[in-house]
Amino acid sequence: MSARILVVDDNPQNLKLVRLILSGEGYDVRTAGDAEEALRVLSEFPAELVLMDLQLPGMDGLELTRRLKADPKTAATIVVALTAYAMKGDDQKALAAGCDGYVTKPIDVDELPALVARLLASRGGAA
Amino acid sequence: MAEHSTIDVDEGTFRGLLEAAPDALVIVEPDGRIALVNGQTERLFGYDRAELVGRPVEILVPERFRATHPARRAGYFTAPRPRAMGESATLHALRKDGSEFPAEISLAPLHTEQGTLVTAAIRDVTSQRRAEHKFRGLLEAAPDAMVIVDGSGGIVLVNAQTEKLFGHGRDAMIGRSVEMLIPERSRDRHVAHRGDFFSSPQARNMGSGLELRGLRADGTEFPVEISLSPLETEEGTVVSASIRDITERKLLEVRMAEANRLKSEFLANMSHELRTPLNAIIGFSELMHGGRVGELAPAHKEYLGDILTSAKHLLQLINDVLDLAKVESGRMDFRVTKVDLKNLVQEVRDVVRGLAATKRLRLEHHVDPSVDFVEVDAPRVKQVLYNYLSNAIKFTGSGGVVTVRVLPEGTDFFRIDVEDTGIGIPPDGLAKLFVEFQQLDASSAKKYQGTGLGLALTKRICEAHGGRVEVRSEIGKGSVFSAVLPRVTAHEAEQGTAE
Repeated sequence: MSARILVVDDNPQNLKLVRLILSGEGYDVRTAGDAEEALRVLSEFPAELVLMDLQLPGMDGLELTRRLKADPKTAATIVVALTAYAMKGDDQKALAAGCDGYVTKPIDVDELPALVARLLASRGGAA
Repeated sequence: MAEHSTIDVDEGTFRGLLEAAPDALVIVEPDGRIALVNGQTERLFGYDRAELVGRPVEILVPERFRATHPARRAGYFTAPRPRAMGESATLHALRKDGSEFPAEISLAPLHTEQGTLVTAAIRDVTSQRRAEHKFRGLLEAAPDAMVIVDGSGGIVLVNAQTEKLFGHGRDAMIGRSVEMLIPERSRDRHVAHRGDFFSSPQARNMGSGLELRGLRADGTEFPVEISLSPLETEEGTVVSASIRDITERKLLEVRMAEANRLKSEFLANMSHELRTPLNAIIGFSELMHGGRVGELAPAHKEYLGDILTSAKHLLQLINDVLDLAKVESGRMDFRVTKVDLKNLVQEVRDVVRGLAATKRLRLEHHVDPSVDFVEVDAPRVKQVLYNYLSNAIKFTGSGGVVTVRVLPEGTDFFRIDVEDTGIGIPPDGLAKLFVEFQQLDASSAKKYQGTGLGLALTKRICEAHGGRVEVRSEIGKGSVFSAVLPRVTAHEAEQGTAE
């Protein structure tokens, strides 16, 4: 069975792009437009990896990451931060919140799947 | 001359002494008549000796002081004692031709067989007065408060600005310790500073980087900037301190820092907003251009390639603007590590190798072994070298040579020279090179595509590291772009003190 990935982004085009890239690699991909929707999806779709934009309307990506890492049911989920915000300290903030990786937009259509594969493999994932 | 001396020398010796004196000497009898004068007196006042001897001494006093002079003279004769020059206020003397001059006069009693005479030594102090006036004028015209302090910290002289700035009258300051102008808590430290200054007096700015504060008469404080210079005077070394109230400037600095922070925050947000749609544009066109969503007609593939190139160019612009904003607002963080420059040059060379190969350029490099290892922010130095190298490749015709040289520069710096055999830059273009969006001419901008920000960014990065950029060029022969950087970059590079 292919690995389950949840993509969280408030921009519909970016959501579609990431889904297209990862589906093309054979992953089982679901999407969410904000943190609340992400939590709803995760309750019925136990993703191995969450790829999320840090800047989300309402609860932001950092807060969502902290919640996922604090909840025993989702603590093992790999979280990769995805952001276009390139100011100093963003990477540290993401890692401090519990993210396992960090990708700066615009994403590279070759590098993203490579990173995802690497992270899933390091967890002994079922990719 | 002792206070109670009597003439015990012969007439000739006395004459000789009189004539040898540097000042005009006038010996006056108790009744005020002139007994004797020397040659200096004749020259100074324009009279012959014969015109003076036997006349009242008031002949040498300007009309307006004549009425009071005999009484003052009589007063002196009742208790004669030596009075040195400069002990009284400036006096005025009258020449034969009616002109006046400022004079300093010392007096000494001269006890003789005929009774007590008075010797007056008179000196023309016109030039001293002129110098003093000039000095006073300068002092009062100075835009800063000027305080002149002696070796023991006593205030010798102040100007009107000092009165205005500190709210003390002149009289309340002269003679007092200069520490009266300093908040209580800093006084001990100031006494030590003062001692340091007098032990090796030289002009300097005081406590650069220190927060110095002045204390007003009403107890309020204000930020000041002080520069000191030693003054050699007859009374020894004194220090002239010019004090500037920098309240306004501090306020401006705070406001500017805030404005700058808002600007870079705005740029950062803009950058985010601009990258978000670019992410989709670049991503989808890459997928299509790469043939991953189906076969494309050649024209479709070509135009998708154009979209991709343009989008990436736009992205580069956004990145450069963001970087510039970061350097400008002092938010560029340095991650200083020990770096092997040979490897660093090799890595950047590898990145541009493809570019050079397509133009059939030869890439050469040489790293002086004495600067193999430096402590710098490697990604930033790579960025600088990459900017220079990609420019050199861009502006060098096929078959040319681009050379990277890394050399020591003094003991504390090293330089990276990137030399090309390209088109060169006209002299009037050199100044524009490192300015944002100043591509040298529109036609070359079209031919040699770039963001117009690379060199501006390079300059800012070098300066933020405490270094500088240089360029020399010859039309048709080529150019040498250089970055001169410290061998060890301070972790906290000079980023202003506002934050």
